[in-house]
Formats: sequence, structure tokens, C-alpha cells
Amino acid sequence: MDDKKGTSSQKVTVYIDDIAYQVNKENNLLAGVLSQKLNLPYFCWHPSMGSVGACRQCAVTQYQDENDTRGRLVMACMTPVSDGMRITLQDKSSAKFREQVIGAMMTNHPHDCPVCAEGGECHLQDMTVMTGHNSRDYQGTKRTFNNQYLGELVGHEMNRCITCYRCTRFYNDYAGGKDFGVYGSKNQVYFGRQKDGTLESEFSGNLVEVCPTGVFTNKLFSAHYTRKWDLQSAPSVCAHCSVGCNTSIGERYGSVRRVMNRYSYDLNGYFLCDRGRYGIGFVNGEQRIKKAKGISQASPEKLTRLDVSKSLAHFRGKRFMGIGSARASLEANFYLKQIVGEENFSAGYSGQQMAVAKAHQQLLNNYFTKDRMLSLREVEQCDFILLIGEDLTKTSPRFALALRQACRNSGIEKAASMGVASWQDSAVRTISGKRNSPFFAMHPTATKLDELTEQHLLLVPDDIEKVMLAITNLLGSDLNEKNSEKHEKQLENYNTEQQLFINKVISELVKAKKPLIVTGDSLLSAKILSATNKLMACLENNPDQKKVNLVVLASASNSIGLLSLIDEKSLSSEQVLAKLSNNEMDGFICLEQELATFTDNELTLLRENAETIIVLDHSESRVSAIADIVLPAAAVSECNGHFVNYQGRIQRFSQVHAPILPILDSWKWLSYVEKSLEFSTTSQSILRKNKAEIIETLDQLHHHFSKHFTSWPVTGNVLLVQNSVARMTQRASGRTSQAANFSVHETKVVQDKDQHYRFSMEGNKPNTVKDMPFTWAPGWNSNQSINHHQVEIQGQLSNYHEDVYLAFQFSNFNHKVEQTSDDTLAGDSPVDKKFTYFPQGSLFQGEWQSALTAEFDLLKYSLEKNPTLYLSTEFSESQGWSQGQWLKVTADNINCIAQLKCDARLPKYLVYGDIYDFINNKSGITVKFSEATEFEVIQQQESRINGYQLAKENQKNILERLKKSDQHIPIRFVAGGLDDA
Amino acid sequence: MTEIIRPLTHLVNLQSPLSLSDYISEGGYQGANKAIHDFSPKQVLDLVSDSELKGRGGAGFPTGMKWGCVPMFPDNDENDDEVPEFKYLVANADEMEPGTFKDRYLLEGAPHQLVEAMIIGAHTIAANRGYIFLRGEYHLAAKRLQRAIDEAYQKNWLGNNIQGTKFSFDLYVHTSAGRYICGEETALINALEGRRATPRAKPPFPQMSGLFGKPTVVNNVETLCNLPHILKHGADWFKALSPDSDAGTKIYAACGRVKSPGLWELPMGTTIREILYQHAGGMADGLKLRGLLPGGASTDFLLPEHLDTPMDFASISKVGSRLGTGGLIVLDDQNCPVAMVLNLLKFFAQESCGFCTPCRDGTPWAVEVLTRIENGKGRKEDLDTLHNLCDFMWLGKTHCALAPGAVEPLKSALRYFIDEFEQHIDNGCCSYQQQGVTQQTHAVQPSHGGQFHG
Repeated sequence: MDDKKGTSSQKVTVYIDDIAYQVNKENNLLAGVLSQKLNLPYFCWHPSMGSVGACRQCAVTQYQDENDTRGRLVMACMTPVSDGMRITLQDKSSAKFREQVIGAMMTNHPHDCPVCAEGGECHLQDMTVMTGHNSRDYQGTKRTFNNQYLGELVGHEMNRCITCYRCTRFYNDYAGGKDFGVYGSKNQVYFGRQKDGTLESEFSGNLVEVCPTGVFTNKLFSAHYTRKWDLQSAPSVCAHCSVGCNTSIGERYGSVRRVMNRYSYDLNGYFLCDRGRYGIGFVNGEQRIKKAKGISQASPEKLTRLDVSKSLAHFRGKRFMGIGSARASLEANFYLKQIVGEENFSAGYSGQQMAVAKAHQQLLNNYFTKDRMLSLREVEQCDFILLIGEDLTKTSPRFALALRQACRNSGIEKAASMGVASWQDSAVRTISGKRNSPFFAMHPTATKLDELTEQHLLLVPDDIEKVMLAITNLLGSDLNEKNSEKHEKQLENYNTEQQLFINKVISELVKAKKPLIVTGDSLLSAKILSATNKLMACLENNPDQKKVNLVVLASASNSIGLLSLIDEKSLSSEQVLAKLSNNEMDGFICLEQELATFTDNELTLLRENAETIIVLDHSESRVSAIADIVLPAAAVSECNGHFVNYQGRIQRFSQVHAPILPILDSWKWLSYVEKSLEFSTTSQSILRKNKAEIIETLDQLHHHFSKHFTSWPVTGNVLLVQNSVARMTQRASGRTSQAANFSVHETKVVQDKDQHYRFSMEGNKPNTVKDMPFTWAPGWNSNQSINHHQVEIQGQLSNYHEDVYLAFQFSNFNHKVEQTSDDTLAGDSPVDKKFTYFPQGSLFQGEWQSALTAEFDLLKYSLEKNPTLYLSTEFSESQGWSQGQWLKVTADNINCIAQLKCDARLPKYLVYGDIYDFINNKSGITVKFSEATEFEVIQQQESRINGYQLAKENQKNILERLKKSDQHIPIRFVAGGLDDA
Repeated sequence: MTEIIRPLTHLVNLQSPLSLSDYISEGGYQGANKAIHDFSPKQVLDLVSDSELKGRGGAGFPTGMKWGCVPMFPDNDENDDEVPEFKYLVANADEMEPGTFKDRYLLEGAPHQLVEAMIIGAHTIAANRGYIFLRGEYHLAAKRLQRAIDEAYQKNWLGNNIQGTKFSFDLYVHTSAGRYICGEETALINALEGRRATPRAKPPFPQMSGLFGKPTVVNNVETLCNLPHILKHGADWFKALSPDSDAGTKIYAACGRVKSPGLWELPMGTTIREILYQHAGGMADGLKLRGLLPGGASTDFLLPEHLDTPMDFASISKVGSRLGTGGLIVLDDQNCPVAMVLNLLKFFAQESCGFCTPCRDGTPWAVEVLTRIENGKGRKEDLDTLHNLCDFMWLGKTHCALAPGAVEPLKSALRYFIDEFEQHIDNGCCSYQQQGVTQQTHAVQPSHGGQFHG
């Protein structure tokens, strides 16, 4: 299959009701029929998960030739496509059978559509109507089940189950879940957990979309519910990691209701992770900044531009630095850098992070000026994986899911050799057994992907570097001489386990057809990235080696966008502090930046030395608390902009709903700040020269950037092709009555100047653009209607156009870069035998914005699992400690209590765990431990219970507030500047 | 040589089965000895193919053909990537078909016969591990099989380098947790792997990719038990056992209200009349034959007019039923046919694995309708519903053969006993009820638990 377009697959002719169609030979007949945009109902088949033939819904009649009039019933999903095959969808017998299947399912499906969260977007409803099943023959009683508590995110209503097995096939087979299963038999099959409890998979939220009916529902959406057709949606990009999954955010009455998967051929396909799906809750959170701080308003009711410029005028002539952020849009970061000047721009990174960033830049510079990093789809095709220093299941979960699929390639290949196509899901899994593609990993903590690896090592970053250097050296030397003595000598400093690892990696790497090396910045180790650089260089120099693909993941949604703005003049956070203490600078502007790298003490110091701190952010942080001026910025669902994903792919997120004033896009605030402060830096002069240019819209901003800055990557004209796609469905109810509680007049539709979507149900259909606000097709109300908007099933979107990519050209790489990295890391080397603790990543707490979501807070205090500390079995035995014992862990003057677990694979001085207080110490932290007293344990448990109750209370309050605010609909007439616009 | 006319059962001793030494002195392990010493696997395979042995589990698939699909790998194959670590031979001893008890007789009465047979089979397909997948309720058979296996290990008939050859074979007894569907070979394999007992999609066939993804052959116990004798006496002898029909003998059985229910090893193709009247002694006093299921619960009814049909695969299907397991279930004129069908359908609804829709939701639906008819609450339209359901669950529409099997007695009952169904509906009651014979079938079956199977 051609990966770029997804269209030029091998086509053969299939006659469907005597009409010839060109159908992809590689997929099954059902996919082929659906690709022609014909309607054929199905349940158990899923484009990404293949066929098992359980539901029997997609039966069609197949004829042997044109003279055959009787035909034979076949399940389309289990039937390969062959040239010249003849089928019918319209004959009586198959139509009757399809209707019977629904009829049989309905013997147990309750008639609770009015109270079902799936109502209106239910695949079962759609399929029932499609088959024409409209009366009930069954006279008996329906079976009933007890439902389970599956955590704060996924609701469970088993009575609705039609037993299609999709949930378990996704959760267990596709995503590798362990705590979910199928129980019982006959028509009493139960899908759930062995007992009540939070689903452990990072992908549990996909059950909501995978389930064809309302068994699994989005609990947060159900709690503050609206029908799908009443949602206002816009295409967005996930703001919670660097993968850049495409999402569709739904809003009503000014509050965000849910995030759904938005199909992307290259990236997320049909699935999202739970952080991406549920992390949007921060937009509705209690920490939102809704009013400006430090600006005196003329009228208490509204903030005007005049107020802003008057207040800011006090600071005119002061010397400001700008601190950008990896979660702010590319526009805002770019703008900030231009305003303050490149020598005053900081990414908010510490020296160590800057070294990592530079090593990252170097990798991009060396290997990605021509080639692009693989997309998730391409990653899924790799047949060898070396994963270095990333717990992907916690940092970039969707990427981890793609790796999981890549591991299946060896089994798929084996199945293909037996003539079994890859879409024959159960057959392929039977054939592959436990066979995995070669997968090797090194990380300081155990991860969920370990089970797939051929071998994995638990190592501190420095040792990871050592192992990589050995691999590099051996690969380099193997070329010329296969001197085994020399080989052994190279390895003599490594233990047997490491030697085995190194040898296996090398032997599998050279065999692989499409090898992949994955690394990232989550351990904040420049050494690992430099070692990756050396390894890649060595592999590139080897003429016999197949091209090795490299993926470097970053931590935040716009990390790469920010990375592109970092140059040799950029300041580290330490330098920012120094410049303030030396009085070289007077203050700084903090753009959506919580300054996590600063300790509380450093932050106090920062405050003491800065004359002025201006903060633009959407939620309160430690920095906004100490700022002089706080300007309320729009969250991702409320504004427009671009994020750059790990590949350099520039993706646009669109405003879903207009925020309540004075919340504005960060770049708009920056334009006010720029005007009011009248900067006098060098780059500022460019801006001043063009002062006549009014920048009111994003388009104007882009135009301005591309006119004056060659480094600006986005070309504006691609973006605003069509001007009128509706954000609401055609069935959106009650626009005329939405404001009826305070006005009899129909409200005017808010004008959107920034993009081509309308705040209305009027306008072009969603599928007229590539980035669809939501997906719908006649007869298909669920997300599965995406079938109708793809070139072919699982192929590109119909209106696809190539994404724009950042060009990676970073200047001036010299030895100084490497020098810095070594300098900064010199202190880290664990020569002195101390225990180094590495935090296990956290799906829900690992990213600042999503962690503000009320439900994630609840999960943090969840009482289902105790904080755990993993020590080497050897050490804990030497201390006489046993599994389950409570220990006190001390680091940086913080004491924590955690339960001991032993891990025999751990080297003695490496420790890991999931202690929340240490979650930010990504590069390792020296810890001491002692036995905890009973009192301390009780104290800790109590504080967790308190925390849980507070979080529960908070969740309840937010919900009440949102429901109340539904009564006061924030209608705005102009989506633009402040009130005097 | 023709004097042995009951090869399968002549060494059966239900009271105390023959020990290894007794079994050997009665001529046992000669077949195995021949197979591993004198014959190459290929020669055994050819012999079995020549003997025209057909599977005795119900489907009647030629055993030689089944084995022939197993990939064979030459000794010391250089391309060791391709040679699987394991190949498996599995004896399907999960005998749960209602009205069928032939395998139990062989398992309890002559365990060494099966062990010997498995050695021969394993040698032929070069399997190095075997499982006897035993119905959980067959406690006695489990004990006796284990004893036989232990003895065989002691005398080096199992284990490494059997009888000084290069051939090694380990054999285990696995007692099932008890589902009818485990009798389906791929569901059996899933159960053996510790998974849910749902049938697998085919292809791949187990011979290519079965247990744990390795080549696997699953054979019925009775099928396997023929092997030692074929090896010992040859293919021609085997075919001569039943000159006018499929090769070999068959263990036929009869249950229901006949004079002497039981089982008998007879030449393949013995007529129903001979089995029913000569061996089972005819109907119990005062009862007349109404109809019968020729081969277990999942076969179509036959009528008295079919009594002269030979019980072999082809003849029985010619008259519209299946030989199945060869166990007759006899319906007399004082038992309600509707109640009998309801009883069978309840069993199938209970034993559906729940994987595919027609079976999972169709069989309980049929039970619901039949229950109402039997209780006199039926309506005329219900007969249409039943016909529709028979159509809905028929071959080609389901994932495996369970539901079509369940349909067979229902469909044929609707054909042969339609007047009975209509009477139930017209009269609003079951006319057999006064005699109290069918009382238990009216109990509403609880939705949980599996106490009703078997």
C-alpha cells in the first residue's frame, strides 16, 4: 500500500449487484464494500482490529459466476476479495439474515435509548435502522447483569451489551490490557473486570468509541451530558504530549464536554490515550484564570484595551525577557521571541534541559533535514525496535500503542507465509502465538512494554549511554574485522546480562528490514541523545545496513515548535535568574509557562529580583501567584494556533467555542503587550517599522510573520481555503431558543475571523475539509461514519492534503554543545554509591495541564493502589525487608511513605517507584530510606483519604458550577478583541 | 485372522482394565511396536489412508487425510527456524454429546488401547507431546488413564527414546472444566491453552497451527483406538470387517425406553433395525417407536420407515440425518416430541459458547418459543418463528457446527411431528402431561450455573 496517499493499493474488480467496483485486494470484502461508500452493517469487525466473524452481521450473498442465481451466504468480513467476484447486498436471503441477526441481538438489548449516553450516535441504532429491523418478535424476558465500577473515566452498563467482543479485542488483544476479560458463556457473556476497580490500561477510554452501543460510556460526558447533535465541535490537536493526536472537541453552553478521536491516517488512526481523551477537563477546572490581575479597570464589568495599555504603560522602557513554553502555540512563542529579541528569549529550560534540547536539535539537524521522522502508521510497520530511555506508555502512550502493533509484524509475516491475511485477526494471533518482532529496551524503571521485549535492561541513564557506546563500537568494528577476541575485549566491562543484550541487539539489528530506534527527552539526559547520535552515525556509515529509522520523542505538545526557536542566544532558566539578580534585566513575560524547573526557593529569589512579572496563562500556577500582571489566556479549546509534533508536523488546532472575555488567545495578549510596552530591542524595530499593520486575526499575524521573518514556517494561504464549515450538526436543536431565558430574539451568530468554521449549524458539511469538526454521514451517526470520509477503509481522508513540516536547520553546532552537556551532567555520575531514584511516569500527572483535570486529581489520591517503591531484591533482603513493608523515603528534605516491592532485575543502586512528590525528578534523585513507623503510615493514609475527599468535593463543585452556568449562556457577538473593539 | 470381529472392545474390561503386562500378553502394543520399529511414519500414514478409517467423532473425516495435512520435517533439518519445537496429538475424550457414551466404555475399559493408539498416531505425525482431553466428569477414566500412562512410562512406552528408538513422546491427561463446545477441536485447543473455549476461525487448520500455534492433530478416542488393530492386522483386514460399507467396526449404542439400552461393537453399516431390535431388545413393553436420533442429540430425527437404513455415513445422510456418534436416542409414543426437542434445545442453549450471534441468541430464543408451546401458551406464528430460527442458525451462518447441530432435531421434528406442535397450540396444553413423564422439562431453567449439562 502506498503510504503517502493510501490509494494506490492493489485493486481488482468486484461486481456488487452487477456493478463493477475497483476494490483493494489486500483487505477483506467488508472493508471493500464500505470503501465504495455502500452500506453494509457490521459490529465485530473494526478497521484497525480486523475480523473475527463473531457477530455475523455483515453477511452477503456471493455468486460463483454470472449464471449462478442461488449464491451462497458468506460473512463479508471473513471473505477475501478476489478478482471478478460477484456479490449482492440486496437479495432477500442475505437481507433477511442480517435483519435476523439484529433481531437476535435485540432479544437482550434494553429499550433504554432515551437515557443512554450513546443515544443519537449509537452504531447499534444505525445498524438496526439499516437492516430494517423494526418490530419485536421475541416474547421472553431479557437477561440482566450487575454493572461494575471501572474507575472515574469509563461507565459500565452491561445490560446493553450485544456481545460483539470488540471491547476485549481492543483492550486485551490490541492494547495489551491485563485487567479486563470475558466471563460466562451462552447469552450470558460478561465483559468487565474480575472485580470492581479502575481500569489499568492507558487506553481504557477507547472502549467508549469501540463499543458499538452504550455499554462503555464516557463518565465525564455522561455526568454533564448533551446529545451528540447538540454539541459544537471543532478539529483540535491533543495538547498533552508530542505525538499530536488529532481530536475533536465538543462543547455546549460554554463548557467543554468531551474529546473524541478524530481519525488521522498518519498519527492516531482510530485510538487516543486516556490523557488525551480526558485531560481536557482542565479547561473547565477551578484553576482557570478568568480575570486579569494587576490591571485597573475603568468599568468593573469589562476590561478594555485602554485599561490594558494604561496599566502596561507603567512598565514602558523596562527591559523584559520572554519565557516561552512547550505548551503554548507556535504563533505565541514565535511572537514572544520577536518581541523581546532573541537574546532575551528563554524556553524556560534549565541548563540541563538546554543541553538536552541542543542534543535533540543536533539529531534533527543530522538526520532529519531531508527525511522525516516516521509517523505512527509507519512505526507500526517496523520489524525491529530499540527503545532507549523512554517509558512510552506514560510519556507518549499512543506511540507505545503503535509499538505494540509493530511487535506483531513477525507473527503477521508468519501468517502471511501460511496464506492467512493480516486482517484475519484471530487466525493471525493463533498462528503468531507468543512470537514478537525483536524489541529491546533500556530504561531505569520497569514499563508496561517490557513484556513485549526480547530483553530489557533496567539501567541509570549513564549506563544506558555505556551500553549504547558498546553497541556503536561493535557495529563499527564488525565492519572490518570479525575478531572475536577484540569483540570480547570491548565487552569485558559489561555484565553478562548487558553483554547478552548488546550481542542480541546487534545480531537482530543487522537482520531487520525496517529497524527503528526510539528515544526521547524524558530522562533529561543529553548523554543518551548524543550516544544515539553516534550510533546513528555509525549505522549510516555502514553500507550493508538497511536504513535505520530514528524517532526522538519530546515531552509536550509543542516541544518541537519551541525547540525550533531555541538558538545559541537563548537563555536557560538559570541565566534568566542571573540576569535579574545582576540587574541586567528588569522583568520577564511568562507565556503559558509554569516554570516547573524552579524550586520554591528559586522562585522566591526570582520574585525578589524581578521588578515586573507579566504572566499569560489559562490556569493558576506558582508563577501566576507571584506575578504583577496576569492576563487570562485561552485554553486549547478556546483559541487557534499550531502545535508541532515530534516529527515536525505542524498541525492546527481550532477554536471550538469563544471564551468568555477577557480571556483571549495568548498571541492577542502579546500584541497588546507589544503595543503598550513599546519595546526597543533590535527585532522590535522591525515590528515598529510596520506598526501601521493591524494584527487582528490569526491570518494577519501569519501574513505579518511570513512577510518579515524568513524563519516563520507556516504558509497562511493553505489554511483558509474554505470559509464556511459548520461547527454544529444540522440537527443542532434550539439555536432560536438558546437564549430564550433572557431574550426573545434569536442571537446573532458569533463571527469567526480566524478560521473557516462557523459557530452555527449553517455552512458546508464537515467532510468538505480535511480537518473535520466532527464526523457524520447519512445513516451513520456514530464515529464509525468516518468510513464514508476515507479514500478507502483505513486510508487517507478524502480531502487530504499534505501537512506542513518544520524545516530542521539549526545553526552552529560546534564542540561547545557537547561540552556543555558534559559539564552540566558531570555532577550526575553515580560514582559515589548512593541510591538514585527514578519516578515511574504517570499518565495522569505527567503533564501539567491535564493534571489539573478534576478526575485526574481524584486518580492521584486513588486509594486502590499504594505508592510503591521498587528496590533490588538483593538489597531489600540484606536489610531484612520484605515485600509490602512500608518504607520512609527521603530526598531533598522531603519525606514520603511508600510500600516496598522487590524487583530482582534491578541493579543495587537503582530505585524506582511511583511516589507522587518525586514525580518531577526525571533525571534521578538521591534517596535514602528507612522503615516507616506505623504512625507515619497511618498519617500518610489519612492524608491520602483527605486528599481524595477534597478532590471528590472539588469534582462535585465543578459539575454543579457547570450545570448552573448552562443556564447563563455566554453569547458573544464578535469573537475578537476586548470589549471596545 | 477374520476371527477378531470386535477389535475395539474385545480387550475391554470395565471391572478392572488390563494392566500393561496383561495387555501385552493379550497382544497389545504389537501395533505400536510395528509402527515404531518396522514402519516409517510415511508407511503408517499410507496404511491408515488405505484402511479408509473415518473419524468416529461425528463428522466422518478420513483420518489419513487429516494426518496428511500435518507438515513433516526431515530429520536434522538445517533450516531449524521452520521446525517447530513441538507438535501435538490430542485425543478428544470430551464426550458430552447427549445420548453418547461409547468413548467412556473404551476409556474405562481399555486405557492401554488408547495409550498405544496415541503412540502410533504421534509417531506417524512426529508429534512429541500428546494430551488426552477428558470430559471432567469421567473421574474413573481419568484415574485409569493416568495409571496406564504411568505404567507405559515405566516400561519406556512413553518418554524419551521409546523402546530404544529415536522417537520420544510425552502424554498427559487433561480433565476438562466441562463445556460441550470443548468437543469442537479448535475450542478444545483453546481450552487446553487456558483460553475461553470458543471455536477458532479456520484456516489455519490445527494441523498447520493448532495448540500454542504448533501443528496439532485432534482425533476422537474411538478413531484412535482402531489404530493398533489396523497396524497389527493390516488395511485389508480392516476393510473386510464391514465389506459393504465404510471400513471397520463401529460402537453403536441405544438409549431411551428400549428393553436393554447399551452399546455394541458391530460392523460398520449395521442397520438401525438390527441395533434396535436385535441388540437393544426392541421397545419397552407397551411402547411403540415414534422416531429416533441416529447419532446423538445433534442429528435429525428418523422415523420407523427408516429402520432398514444401514448405519454408515453415506446411508444415513441419504435419508436426511447424520451418523454422528452412532448412539441412538429413541423416542417412544408416550413421550412428547415437543418436550424432547425443548429438552435438547435447552442443552444447546446452555452450552453455546456465546461467540456468534445466531447460536448465542438464537438457541435461547428457540427455547423460549418451545417452552411456550409445550406449556400450551404457543401461537400459530410461533411455528413460523421456529422455522425462521432453524433457517437463522443453519450451516454457513454460524461460526461453528453447534447451532446447526441444535437445529437438526428441531427442524426434523417440525417436519415429522408438526401435528404434535399444532395440537399443543390448538389445545393449549401438552397431551402427554397427564402421564407425568415430561414433568421435569417444564422447570424454568436458571440462568446461571452449569448443573444441567451432561
